[in-house]
Amino acid sequence: MSTATLSLFDDEFLKKLEYLNIISKRLFAGQLRAERRTRKRGTGLEFADYRAYVAGDDFRHLDWKAYLRLNRLILKLFEEEEDLPIYFFVDSSQSMNYGSPSKLDYARRVAAALAYIGLANLDRVNIVSFGNGIKGELPPQRGKGRIFKIFRFLTDMTAGGDTNAKESFKTYCTETRRRGLAVVISDFFDQHGFQTALDVLRHFRHDIFILHIASHEEIDPPLKGELQLVDSESQVGREITITPSLLAAYRAEFARYCESLESYCGKYQLGYVRTATDFPFEELVLKVFRQGRFLK
Amino acid sequence: MTFLALSPLQTVLLALLTTGLVVALYFLKLRHRRVLISSSILWLKVLDERQAHSLWEKLRKIISIIVAVTITLLIALSLARPEIESLTGKTERIVIVLDTSPTMTTQTADGRTRWQHAMDRAENLLDGGGPTTEFRVVDTSGVTSSAFTTDRNEARRLIEQMSPRSAEPQFPKVDGRDSRVYFVSDGVALHGVPSFVRRVSVFERAQNVGITAFEIRSIPSTPLGYEAYLEVQNYGNPAEVAITLSAPGGQRLSRSVRLAKGEIFKDAFDLSRFTGGGIRATIQSKDDALPLDDVAFAYLPIKRKTRTLLVTRGNNNLETLLKLDNYVELLKIDPANYRESSNIDAYIFDRFAPSTPPSRPALILGAPNAGWLRTSNGIVQKPEITTWSEDHPIMQFVSVHDVSIERAAQIDATNLTVVAASKQTPLILVSEKPRWVMLTFDLDSSDFAFHVGFPVFIENVLAWFSREQLALRRSPGVVEVPLANAQVRTIDGKTVPASQQLGKTIFEAAEPGLYVATQGENRVHVAVNLANRSFSDVNQSVFKDDRAAAGQRYWLRRELWFYMLLGAVVLIGVEWFTYHRRITL
Repeated sequence: MSTATLSLFDDEFLKKLEYLNIISKRLFAGQLRAERRTRKRGTGLEFADYRAYVAGDDFRHLDWKAYLRLNRLILKLFEEEEDLPIYFFVDSSQSMNYGSPSKLDYARRVAAALAYIGLANLDRVNIVSFGNGIKGELPPQRGKGRIFKIFRFLTDMTAGGDTNAKESFKTYCTETRRRGLAVVISDFFDQHGFQTALDVLRHFRHDIFILHIASHEEIDPPLKGELQLVDSESQVGREITITPSLLAAYRAEFARYCESLESYCGKYQLGYVRTATDFPFEELVLKVFRQGRFLK
Repeated sequence: MTFLALSPLQTVLLALLTTGLVVALYFLKLRHRRVLISSSILWLKVLDERQAHSLWEKLRKIISIIVAVTITLLIALSLARPEIESLTGKTERIVIVLDTSPTMTTQTADGRTRWQHAMDRAENLLDGGGPTTEFRVVDTSGVTSSAFTTDRNEARRLIEQMSPRSAEPQFPKVDGRDSRVYFVSDGVALHGVPSFVRRVSVFERAQNVGITAFEIRSIPSTPLGYEAYLEVQNYGNPAEVAITLSAPGGQRLSRSVRLAKGEIFKDAFDLSRFTGGGIRATIQSKDDALPLDDVAFAYLPIKRKTRTLLVTRGNNNLETLLKLDNYVELLKIDPANYRESSNIDAYIFDRFAPSTPPSRPALILGAPNAGWLRTSNGIVQKPEITTWSEDHPIMQFVSVHDVSIERAAQIDATNLTVVAASKQTPLILVSEKPRWVMLTFDLDSSDFAFHVGFPVFIENVLAWFSREQLALRRSPGVVEVPLANAQVRTIDGKTVPASQQLGKTIFEAAEPGLYVATQGENRVHVAVNLANRSFSDVNQSVFKDDRAAAGQRYWLRRELWFYMLLGAVVLIGVEWFTYHRRITL
């Protein structure tokens, strides 16, 4: 195991991940044979349907028992099993470098775990680092052996700049891409709003899963007194006096913000899981994602 | 608004300076601590909403500075001692004169006394003044006279120490030019009140029956006979009055009379059954409002025989007269056999005088030659009595204007008291120390012994020599006794503080009573009685109604600076509370 792997999770956890599989609500066409069902009829193992034999069909797939009963040549159709393109959009804007542990560290570990699950299931895993645009992109990886490359990419990922998810997604998706499962890992603190960004992904008909990461300091800020709050992305400061009522108003606003994101996802049937950085990472992957029907 | 400590210009400058200082300090406050947050999106949204929708949020920023400026202005301006007349009243002086005359002890219909009502009125006046008002409290008995003070508690304490006195009241000297003078009174005893004085009346009509005169006097026709003269007047509705005269020996005279409104009862009571001592007269009637005039005192001399030595070669008239006197125990000897004896109360020397003065008082008839007596300078033939003193005790009820005298010795009367004299020579001389009485003529050369006043004269002389005198009659207040360095006691034996002045003893008799002044063997009884019609007539008020000239009442009880500092403290507390709860900034 490399140093990068060690910094993300241990072997025991990796073994547990091998038993998991990422669920996609839609069926997408893959490029290579793999273990994921597609709409195609092909040479997979799973029986799909019957149809009448026509000349040129592979007679190895004739159902001889049916021929004996019905005296008709009927061809058995099998599902084609292909790989699934999975795109991990990891927010690496400056706001993700906040909290202890930082949201970016937490996002890195989640992305690595999910990527490993995808690789273990022979899915095509893409890692995209975005902020105010595409900051880095790991070409599609397939097979568990590529996990170290993914680890390295995630480990090298640094936080910086502000957030413009819409432009980032538009840039990425407008290039010729295959539709697949888009996993967005972000705090969704975007000056331009999260809806328009997610609308882009919906427009390109990806199956979308949202992992909303918040730090404990954002949920319940330990602030008091006369302060100058400085935005980590814009570096713009604002002098305020923290009062109990103001804190209560902020907490209410944060809850409202999370609810709006969750309701958006519910409206468009997008997968949504919100977690805090002080929530145990392994529990998130092994229990919460399974309960959220993102993993099985 | 006026300022007592600073001028208006100084006050304005002080206000501007402190305001500027606070505002400057407000903007020089510490910089806010810089805190990095992931994103300010939600914070800005919250702040914008609060600022947009709450007037309080808009005002909150300036509230702190307003409070800070207010606090410092309150403290700074309090140094200038501001005064608002409508709230605190202006600086003024009030003199409260309380009537402490005896009539103030008159009970009113509510069971309290006029004095208690007067104290309430005085308290109201104290409460009514502003915080800068200076008060002075004075009474009409001359006992209490405070300086001007703003300390109400001190004034209250003085009022509580005051009490009505039986002495004659006198309106104190107060200056009405720079102060308001209130006179709290029932208007009965004191009438001569200056015109600038505002009257606060506690008058209320009351029933009263009082002793207006009481004295014991001797009966001329009876040796050592005394009678008590009593005068009682009803100043209220018709009433049944029980009169009692009592003595320490248990003797008692009682009488009940019905007196119409304004009626006076006058009568003399025979005291022949009384053995002597203090006599107490009391009256009782229903609804009597003034107890002070329901009692009076007098002194009845104790009756005992005078052991008298008559030294004469023979004087039948005088000897017979003395033998017939029941209160004289007569001893008679010839001048040749005279020796001074210790058990003799008085001597009568008839045309004889011993070589040395006797230790006891003596009546000397004629003008014998002796070293301790004045020497005769000659003989005056047929002197006519031209002057005599009826005030001297030995001359009481004695008339000598028609006494014929054949001859009399001419005597120099310097330093002696002459109670009867002709143009040429004194005829009756009196020496106080040693006590003796001399007639400059002998009884054989005059018809004095055959006059009706002679037995009375002898009786008076013997009484003056050794018998007790009737009590002096005095009114309550400062009493003078013509006895130097005397010790004064009440009839109960309690010592009364006394002072000496010009050979007299002076003491304060606050209440009616019988007092005894003693100096060596000399003893003087003093009967102190109210017995004053102007006091007993408790309804004779110059106040037509009982309306009170109440002072103006102000909202604030202390100076304004006190409330300003109090307000500053409260504001500091509020600011501290709200700041630490982030209600204010």
